[in-house]
Amino acid sequence: MPAPQHLGGWRTGALLAAGAAYALAVAATTPFTTSANVLTGLPIVGLGVLAVARWPWHPTPLEAALPAHGRHPYRAWTGLLAAIVVWELAQYAARGSRGAHPTLSSMADAIDRHYLVKAVVVFGWLCLGALIVAKGTQASVPRRRAREAP
Amino acid sequence: MTAAISYAVWGLLGAALLGLWAFSRSADSPVARPAVVVQRLATGPLLRLALVAWWMFTGWHFFAR
Repeated sequence: MPAPQHLGGWRTGALLAAGAAYALAVAATTPFTTSANVLTGLPIVGLGVLAVARWPWHPTPLEAALPAHGRHPYRAWTGLLAAIVVWELAQYAARGSRGAHPTLSSMADAIDRHYLVKAVVVFGWLCLGALIVAKGTQASVPRRRAREAP
Repeated sequence: MTAAISYAVWGLLGAALLGLWAFSRSADSPVARPAVVVQRLATGPLLRLALVAWWMFTGWHFFAR
């Protein structure tokens, strides 16, 4: 009988392989078509269903799971996110062509023209969705264990 | 020229993202790791709604519409 870790490794590997195959399928679709809508919509609906089914109704926010000297562990991330949002809005509102003022969307459109690169981006999006579901599910663990999260 | 400046700023922001990611993974870093940031967002009563909405929007916007 295989060890539990062995089964976990197989399960993770199977999920990653399925995600990669799905990403290749999504990358093969063209935006504004039914196939793109359906293949993109399925993970969106899936995440919604999983979040409702697995997440606690009254979550306990994670306390700072960081060393004592890290008093503001999220400040740097918040600052970087703010800078990205400000630059995105500045580019979006700027006069001139989109080529002269690229936004994240226009750069994504350029990337989407390359099949394998688009597949990698889709795979990353799927992995992020799985991470979001997993991390939200862990909200039900005791606070002492939540502090020990990696 | 304008496009070069725009792409340069995007490049700097991308480099800052990667640098912060790497710094957060160093020993005794005061910066939260990305997985911890996601966990903090996913366990906030309102933040988790915003996180899920953002993930859904980006997927739909980038790959479907």
